[in-house]
Amino acid sequence: MIGLAVTLVLVAVALLSLVWTPYPIAVIDVPGKLQPPSAEHWLGTDQFGRDVLSRIMAGAVNSIAVSLVAVGIGAGIGVPLGALAAARRGLVEEVVMRFNDFTFAFPALLSAVMITALFGPGAVNAIVAIGIFNIPVFARLTRGAALSLWQRDFVLAARVAGRGRTRITLDHILPNIASLLIVQMTIQFALAILAEAGLSYLGLGTQPPNPSWGKMLNEAQTLMFLAPQLAVFPGLAIMITVLGLNLLGDGLRDLLDPRLRRLR
Amino acid sequence: MTLLSLQDLRVTIDTPDGPATLLDGVSFELAAGQSLGVVGESGCGKSMTALAVMGLLPAAARAQGQILFEGRDLLALDEDALCRVRGRRIAMVFQEPMTALNPVKTIGDQVAEGLRWHLGLGRGAAEARALTLLQRVGLPAPRFSPQLYPHQLSGGQRQRVVIAMALACEPALLIADEPTTALDVTSQAEILDLIAEVTAELGMALMLITHDLAVVWQNTAAMLVMYAGCVVERGATAEVFARMAHPYTRGLLAASPHGLDADLPSGHRLATIPGQVPDPHQRPPGCIFAGRCRRAADACLPRPPAERTLVPGHGVACLFPHDDEAPA
Amino acid sequence: MALFVLQRLAALVVTLLVASLVVFLVMEVLPGDPAAIMLGVNAREDTLAALRAEMGLDKPALERYLIWVGGLLTGDLGRSYTYGVTVWELVGERIGLSLPLALIAIVLSTALAIPLGVLAAAKRNKAADVGVMGFTQLGIAIPNFWFAMLLILLFAVYWRVLPAGGFAGWDAGFWPALQTLLLPAVALALPQAAILARVTRSSVLETLGEDYVRTARAKGLSRRAALWRHAVRNALIPVVTIMGLQFSFLLAGTIIIENVFYLPGLGRLIFQAIAQRDLIVVKDLVILLAASVVVVNFLVDLLYAVLDPRLRGARHGL
Repeated sequence: MIGLAVTLVLVAVALLSLVWTPYPIAVIDVPGKLQPPSAEHWLGTDQFGRDVLSRIMAGAVNSIAVSLVAVGIGAGIGVPLGALAAARRGLVEEVVMRFNDFTFAFPALLSAVMITALFGPGAVNAIVAIGIFNIPVFARLTRGAALSLWQRDFVLAARVAGRGRTRITLDHILPNIASLLIVQMTIQFALAILAEAGLSYLGLGTQPPNPSWGKMLNEAQTLMFLAPQLAVFPGLAIMITVLGLNLLGDGLRDLLDPRLRRLR
Repeated sequence: MTLLSLQDLRVTIDTPDGPATLLDGVSFELAAGQSLGVVGESGCGKSMTALAVMGLLPAAARAQGQILFEGRDLLALDEDALCRVRGRRIAMVFQEPMTALNPVKTIGDQVAEGLRWHLGLGRGAAEARALTLLQRVGLPAPRFSPQLYPHQLSGGQRQRVVIAMALACEPALLIADEPTTALDVTSQAEILDLIAEVTAELGMALMLITHDLAVVWQNTAAMLVMYAGCVVERGATAEVFARMAHPYTRGLLAASPHGLDADLPSGHRLATIPGQVPDPHQRPPGCIFAGRCRRAADACLPRPPAERTLVPGHGVACLFPHDDEAPA
Repeated sequence: MALFVLQRLAALVVTLLVASLVVFLVMEVLPGDPAAIMLGVNAREDTLAALRAEMGLDKPALERYLIWVGGLLTGDLGRSYTYGVTVWELVGERIGLSLPLALIAIVLSTALAIPLGVLAAAKRNKAADVGVMGFTQLGIAIPNFWFAMLLILLFAVYWRVLPAGGFAGWDAGFWPALQTLLLPAVALALPQAAILARVTRSSVLETLGEDYVRTARAKGLSRRAALWRHAVRNALIPVVTIMGLQFSFLLAGTIIIENVFYLPGLGRLIFQAIAQRDLIVVKDLVILLAASVVVVNFLVDLLYAVLDPRLRGARHGL
């Protein structure tokens, strides 16, 4: 599984960067600025003479942290909402689904725009914006899968035995859709990395001097004629990360088929 | 005159567990304008035989032997030539009228499609002909406009549309694969009557595939009994029913829920055939039915029994066929 | 059909009402004093008072909400604080760029994605399929703004055949204007095309397994004819829905891509309005963009009914 390998390497690099990077990420060395890739600086240096490789390594931490929390928010709110809608049906379901439709009208970027307009740009606001956008994704998925489970015999048996809806949801429904949710989380994680990069590129996400792939690309754009290599490496890092996560998601889905296919 | 002749047709299919044998040496002949019933349990290879004749076997399947139709071996034809046979000379009616029609095209368009494709009719001419065909199968305008979509019709009405499509180019052979299985009882009889009428009217040969002995009894002149990819008994329908020489044929009768309806006296107890159909990956060397047969002996095990002729035209592939009259 | 339209229309109105309520609460009530946010901490008390009066902040929230919604419905979006013109004028100016850009991107991605998806499905597991699927994996993984930068590097920095950014304006003539929109449209279209091609592939694969495709083959239609006349036609119905859903991603993409190419469109306007804390413009643009997403999806629902006769009329014949 290439996806798993890429993801593991990424996590390892991110953890490594917490204790060691080839060069300190914040130390400015103006005479050594804008160097092309060399033996000392594998990926060259930026406009302040900082080592690009080190900053990309540290950027991985930022991307992972933001995406992890954002997907956590989305799943943490979306899954209970979806499960509730499936268990209660009726008015509750209608309200949850309308709420979904409504959140859907606001792409992550649009809600981020609103939030930053009020509270100013920052990593936390980016997390909230991406997280909000993830809620309907998980709510919809959970509801759909849970609804089909509620029709199944073993759930019916539990109901006949007098189990409450909450107990059944916790004991039977959620364990049975866990694998489905894990696959979706992998996919949403990849999307969150892309969204975080986009927000940081626009200056609405992670703020300097904290290293972030999107921000690095933003800074590289003004120097595109001078040092085009700066515009290449952070983008490659994003692409490889997202590719790895998507492949991981596909691999997990294949692994967990055919049960998944029936539920979806 | 022989219209269709299968000679030693073998079909294997590649599966993750290795090749599986689906048809093991099927041979039979069907004369122009005649009717042939093919009966057997699901999975016995009767639908696979039909798909082989149509040249529509699954991609993973391999066919050997000969399928001679109007003097040409269909297995040797290239795809273009096959397309000129399908729908034009051989047409097929499928089991599931609910899904056999395209839900987003009008029934008129779907009937006209074959006419335009094969006969090169213009839009107007094809539509006019489609109208006549729909009327012929019992869907007269204006109550059944050709502008209707399949979902606006009942199952029996949709099967009539499928039949109209099959008749469109007046083929020489109509293959009907379980045409009434998915329909309710009243529609079943109507559809079978319609098929009998139109084949007689146009002089078409009919290959009627079913698991229902009563359907064979009422609608065909000759019949084949298939089991696990082999023909185990064949002959004129009346002859086969009178004798039921193969133990499997008798088992089939005993297991059929409503016997042969009113036309044959019923009153027997419903029975099941014990045992299971052999694994298509590992077929036994001897008689394919021996594992489930109460009459089986050691002689059945080393090699498959050759087909023997009981009376001219009535053959059975069994060393110990029943020689009494069939139980009613 | 009429009932279906009415139901969807009711859902549309409810969604828009809720959306406007939330936007209003978030932008005007939550912050306490929007005027203070717009003018910053060093604002003089008399300017603040003037802005509060202009925004009608002395009135109760409900009344302000009703005035705002009424204004939205009558086309009176208020006046931008920083630009000094009405928001409507700002939008009118910039939609001439954003709308054509979005349309070109949609056309490009559809023209690329559907043939590729059909090809991949028809050649399942063959080289063409593997190639298309690999391309789509890359297309999904590449951030669109980075792809845009690579396009600029190639076409503007190295080959110097297309401009690196800016908009020539339609007054400069059709071709010069189109040239400046070409790279942005390609950058917007790629990720959309990748997703759409995947959806098309799986949808066509599904319909290829349907009985009616076998019926078409039994009629004598060639593999290709059965594919295009029966499988593809039916497979496109769900694809249209996905295209509708993609519209919101397209909007989000526009905000980024217009910034990459310094294009004076709606996306850049909303971005600049944030930088200048022009809450009036931000509020109006957010609700307009959200409304366009909802309306597009409503139209897609209707299109769905047109494409799929099963959703249209009552049963007949029985």
